[in-house]
Amino acid sequence: MSYSTSQQTKNISLFKTLPFHLLIFAVLIVIWEMTNLYGFEDQIQADMIAPRPTNIVLAMLDIFIIDKTVWKHLISTFQKALLGASIGTAIGMGLAIAATLSLTFRKYIKPWIILLEATPRIAVGPIFVALLGFGLWSAVALAALVAFFGPFVNTFQGLMEIDEEAEEMFRSLGASRFQTFWKLRFASAMELISAGWKLATASAFGGALVAEFIQASEGMGVLIAQYVIMITMDYAFAGLLSVTIFGFILFKIMDYFDYRLIFWKNDYLLLKESEKRRKKAGIV
Amino acid sequence: MVATAKKAEDLSRFGQTVIEGKNVTKVFGETVTALEGANFDIQAGEFISLVGPSGCGKSTLLRLVAGLIEKTSGDVKVNDDLVTKPRTDIGMMFQKAVLLDWRTAIENVLLPSEMKHRITQEDKDKAMASLELVGLKGFEFHFPKQLSGGMQQRVALARLIQTGADIMLMDEPFGALDEFTRERLNVELMRIVGELKATTLFVTHNIQEAIYLADRVMVMTPRPGKIAEIIEVKFERPRDISIQTSREFNIIIEQVRDTLGSH
Repeated sequence: MSYSTSQQTKNISLFKTLPFHLLIFAVLIVIWEMTNLYGFEDQIQADMIAPRPTNIVLAMLDIFIIDKTVWKHLISTFQKALLGASIGTAIGMGLAIAATLSLTFRKYIKPWIILLEATPRIAVGPIFVALLGFGLWSAVALAALVAFFGPFVNTFQGLMEIDEEAEEMFRSLGASRFQTFWKLRFASAMELISAGWKLATASAFGGALVAEFIQASEGMGVLIAQYVIMITMDYAFAGLLSVTIFGFILFKIMDYFDYRLIFWKNDYLLLKESEKRRKKAGIV
Repeated sequence: MVATAKKAEDLSRFGQTVIEGKNVTKVFGETVTALEGANFDIQAGEFISLVGPSGCGKSTLLRLVAGLIEKTSGDVKVNDDLVTKPRTDIGMMFQKAVLLDWRTAIENVLLPSEMKHRITQEDKDKAMASLELVGLKGFEFHFPKQLSGGMQQRVALARLIQTGADIMLMDEPFGALDEFTRERLNVELMRIVGELKATTLFVTHNIQEAIYLADRVMVMTPRPGKIAEIIEVKFERPRDISIQTSREFNIIIEQVRDTLGSH
């Protein structure tokens, strides 16, 4: 099976390079720790510019296990990001579908899309905060605004890619416009649409954080900003690290979702799905 | 009761004109005459091959009969109706199998039924039977990516059978396959068409294939595309693949070549 061979090669190469990656990482951490201890004349200055990795780990322990401060902020940021991603995706996909179905709509929406594309969307943040307040919704709005583009562009592109022969086959079967749209065009576009969802999640996460940096009552952006203002840089770094770790987990989940959804691109999943459907039909 | 009535009807249809073209012309744009003044008359149960080089209008003729494109002038009639749009009594097959990658073979075959109504157990049984007829028993739950090119075309043929149409239009269905696979599928198509008693219009640029399968071969020539000659092929059915080496077969090949060469 080609899948397992490529997977094995991947595992082998990872196995070979992993020790080197770990070594480089360890060396960097040690240099960082040493810089803090011996690189500055003043310990306060040292902790501000390069907080010790050991202290960052202790700060992580504190905010996650001892004091548990981080959880409500993490949950808040994730809530904003996921809500924003969903709203942005719904709007983006809705507009893209309308634009592919109607030439008139496509013409009228085009200048607005160009205008929106030219605007640095993060810069809209302060205006949203002014309009919607420090709570949940200003961050959700910014997350939705930055998330909107990926699903819009991908859905549009996917739906506009028409397989002439398949369209002709559907026409010869007397398919209605509705049937051709869902069973052929939308289904064929799923691969790109799913990639658009991944983009939306990643950008919504960034958008939510930026909105929180600007002004908010809770969230990881607020927490990190507070630690910076209090000059507890080890905690600020711990906050940053938490965002990285949980962001990574979120993107991996989206990756896995995409991998399972677009199962026909993968030989191994295809084999499994084929067996599953055979069993479901009651034929062994 | 119903079955016997249908059979009697089928028999009475035999020899009756199913597809008729009168002076059919198709001009693309302003100047490109793809088909000029084509006259044809296809009987129920007949197998007609359309053979000719690229640009001779054979695909255009097929698409006109299918109702996929509109004629410029003349008349195309199917079962005495003027063709204006795709019809349910016509099934089609193309050079590419055009299967949906995310559907298993049987789910692809069920597509025509889905267009008409909610899938029933009867549709599923019919799809299983269609797949068996094209020699894909045991492959019902394979996805297109798990099948060879020849097997994918078999699925496309099963999908055509599933439509229940008694007119089959095929546009170079085996054109992208290797010689061995093409030959095997020719033999199978001969058997299947015989079993279904369908009226078939088969476009190809392979002269052997055209003659082997057909009751009549319509030879077409390009610039402008027109029907140059209609040749009858009188071998008995079912035909063995070995007839292709017989003297009579080669005489017909020469005849087709002469027509194509003299234009």
